[in-house]
Amino acid sequence: MTTQAFFIGFFGLAAVWFGVVVFRTHSMMRSALALLFSQTALGAMFLGMQAEFLGVLQIMMMATEMSIMAIFMVMFMMDPGGLGEMEMTHQKRLSLVAGFVAFTGAAAVAVLFDWGPVVSVAPDAAQQTADLGLELLGRSMLIFETAGITILTAMIAATAVAILPIEAKTTTNEY
Amino acid sequence: MSIELILALMTGAALFGVGIYGALSQTNLVMIMMGVELILAGAMVNLLAFWRYLHPDVAAGQMFVLIIMTVMALEMAVGFGVAIARFRAKGSVEMEEARELKG
Repeated sequence: MTTQAFFIGFFGLAAVWFGVVVFRTHSMMRSALALLFSQTALGAMFLGMQAEFLGVLQIMMMATEMSIMAIFMVMFMMDPGGLGEMEMTHQKRLSLVAGFVAFTGAAAVAVLFDWGPVVSVAPDAAQQTADLGLELLGRSMLIFETAGITILTAMIAATAVAILPIEAKTTTNEY
Repeated sequence: MSIELILALMTGAALFGVGIYGALSQTNLVMIMMGVELILAGAMVNLLAFWRYLHPDVAAGQMFVLIIMTVMALEMAVGFGVAIARFRAKGSVEMEEARELKG
């Protein structure tokens, strides 16, 4: 087994394990932190796969995203520390079966399908970033621009949904 | 066949399965969003593995990973917008209580 395979396996296992912990703990803070560790392990796995730019981006983005998620968790939950050990699941058996079937199906395809010849050498980091930039501003420009517009639309929509309506502001003194 | 590719695809499959379980089993909106994040993470791992081990010379694979990251951020933004609206209206983000979408 190569060093690369070891790191991919190690960080992959860590990502899956922390993903499982997200749904096994009663504490919302621990859930958010477990998801953060899971996504960070994925970032490290990307680095192991020689995708330096995306690995670093993944770690930076997910650290920010999960910190915000943890704050929202504390704001929304009745018992963010999980001391009351509230049951927050339903249709557990169906969910387990669906999750297992999804994993088995995807794993079977991964193992049984013939993926063809594997390329062992990846372009160096600088070349990758240059290629990605050219791709984003060249052939995939339309997709990239659509993603930008979609982000802007989602930001405006999310803010519009979240802010208090004007009539509610004028009738209550709470806000 | 490359052991690295298989390891990466198995990781993606496992994250996808765990995410499906989380999204279906949780009653809290934020926890459901965490499940969806894991599903998207599984897809992201697969895309990067395909880029790295099958087509490292085509940057479109990396571009699709960027798009998935964008979708993850969008899901968070819209999800939290809905969560805030729901919390303000009903004082809870439990989805068991949100069967009737009457506002």
